[in-house]
Amino acid sequence: MTVQSTTPQFKQNTKDALKNANLQTALRDTRNGFVGKRAAAREKMGVDEFEGLRDAARDLKNHTLANLDVYLEMYEEQVRASGGHVHWAKTAEDAQRIVLDICRKADAKTVNKGKTMISEECGINDFLAENGIKPVETDLGEYIIQLRGEHPSHIIAPAVHVTVPEVRDEFRKAHTHLDADRNLDGLDTLLKEARGVLREKYFEAEVGITGANMLIAETGQSIIVTNEGNGDLSQSLPRVHIVMASLEKIVPTLEDSATILRVLARSATGQDMSVYTTFSSGPRRATDPDGPEEYHVVLLDNGRTDMIGTEFQDMLRCIRCGACINHCPVYQTVGGHAYGWVYPGPMGSVLTPSLIGVEEGGQLPNASTFCGRCESVCPMRIPLPKMMRHWREREFEKNLTPSAMRYGLKAWAFVAKRPWLYRVKTRAAIMALGLLGRRKGRFAALPLASGWTGGRDMPAPEGDTFMAQWKAGKRP
Amino acid sequence: MSGRDEIMQKLTRTLDQGDGRAARQAAVRAHMAKPGGPVPSIAREEDAVGAFIERAIKADATVSRIASADDLPKALAEELRNRNLPAAIRHGADPMFAGLDWGGLETSVGIGRIEEPATLSRAEFGVAETGTCVLASGADNPVTLTFLGETHFVVLDAGDIHKGYEDMWAALRARGLTPRTVNMVTGPSRSADIGQQLQLGAHGPVALHVFVIG
Repeated sequence: MTVQSTTPQFKQNTKDALKNANLQTALRDTRNGFVGKRAAAREKMGVDEFEGLRDAARDLKNHTLANLDVYLEMYEEQVRASGGHVHWAKTAEDAQRIVLDICRKADAKTVNKGKTMISEECGINDFLAENGIKPVETDLGEYIIQLRGEHPSHIIAPAVHVTVPEVRDEFRKAHTHLDADRNLDGLDTLLKEARGVLREKYFEAEVGITGANMLIAETGQSIIVTNEGNGDLSQSLPRVHIVMASLEKIVPTLEDSATILRVLARSATGQDMSVYTTFSSGPRRATDPDGPEEYHVVLLDNGRTDMIGTEFQDMLRCIRCGACINHCPVYQTVGGHAYGWVYPGPMGSVLTPSLIGVEEGGQLPNASTFCGRCESVCPMRIPLPKMMRHWREREFEKNLTPSAMRYGLKAWAFVAKRPWLYRVKTRAAIMALGLLGRRKGRFAALPLASGWTGGRDMPAPEGDTFMAQWKAGKRP
Repeated sequence: MSGRDEIMQKLTRTLDQGDGRAARQAAVRAHMAKPGGPVPSIAREEDAVGAFIERAIKADATVSRIASADDLPKALAEELRNRNLPAAIRHGADPMFAGLDWGGLETSVGIGRIEEPATLSRAEFGVAETGTCVLASGADNPVTLTFLGETHFVVLDAGDIHKGYEDMWAALRARGLTPRTVNMVTGPSRSADIGQQLQLGAHGPVALHVFVIG
């Protein structure tokens, strides 16, 4: 089965997150980094050109999804022609079984892993460990959280919630073969230590697993985009390379990959280009001195074909850059773990109910103020707020919304559908509040609104409603 | 039913509700005949070599120019000395390297090993758009040299520097290259996973130096 979620406890998760001082420190430190860097990269390229590329990227992916069966067949044929194998996994369980089979045939004791969210989605690490195979995460962030026994809290910065002192403690605990009194003060010493420890692991593993940022139909290549170089070491040193990718990662041609690459890094980290973009096809050639002897692609569906043809199809354009997450005020406040499953932030709020069901993931689409920042920065122009609204409707239709909220919504709808009644009521409420709050000009507490006034005062209304003022001829 | 059949049947059934299969195949053929999107102005600079050098440096690489491949041994020896690295280099079987007189440099030919202070590769192309080196894996330039060298040296012909990715892919096709991996490299490796502070030298090279010939 897919990795277990704690999404149904979303409310409690957020409360815990707000009280977690270390997490709040880490979130505060990163809040503006990503946002500023993306904005600068967009300016640097030229706003009009960047926006034009977003349009092109959206159209490209729409075209690909509308013809996905044709492209998938083309891709599969090309992988086979280059000597690779394509394994189709309808579910996460299928993917687990396929990966385990390949590992067993390779007599693997250790599996090295580049960062792959699909592996997270399928719970590959726990499954391999249960079956006596040791998974080793090699992306620095993934390595840190693997040591801590956690899951990623961000899709491109998995250890963004971990502070430096916590990393230091973790390394001292894990790297017991090193001198216990060594100096680990500087960030550079921590990085060097991780580099040294992991360098040996690359040479030990029999199998390397990576994800794929794209799959090229024309050539059968898988693409990984990284900054550290760990993904490339994980896929070129072990005897067997397994690519785990979901089937919507297809793009038609190499030229089309350029369109996606031009918006990917700029939206993610604000780089013009990530350090390593690697196009891989098949196992090592007869004359190659290095590279894997076997090349396998596990193509995962896990609910995605069910999204095609529905109001959630647009979500399959997602290229996992993390821009929506970085810009989300809710994510910035509670971090990624509160979301309780693999994908956090706005993209997670849309994807999670699609993949694990609205019964389990239905709370996430409610965790939005609909401020719209996610859609405004999404390089693929995915209408995230609209899709969250669709999920709210489905949750309501399925009677999953708490009864107090249902009655409240019904009462509000009754009034809102009758404008004269709405105006009378709001006017009365505003007059009363204005009168009551005349002395102080604000309220520290209000009945039924403790959730709002718990963190701030409510200003007392002054004068009449907008509609009444407008009617009386007042203009700004 | 196999996973493949189950997935493809579901997909085809859904997509058939829109255009038919024949129409989809036609749409794909039309796209493949004219792929790609808009080419931004950063990928259309007149002075491709100048733009390549400027952007590679912005991506934390260092770059120097040499007149011909014959100057490579001397230039490389000097770079190694300036970086306090041993006078030794590991490279592949590329004909360019085989024909050079390496003088006092200790050279070895082969794939990357667990500790490699300095490695050398010949890049097939450069892309001015982002200051990116494009390497093709194989016996000439083993892919592991690109990632295991502590310092990675790349040599690149100025004539192989293209303006944008589209030009580079066209040149790669024209050269008939179909290596197992095509590696785009833009600067040395880096990570911000500890404390969100960007540091150079994660798992790949700590430094990248590019020699542009011509």
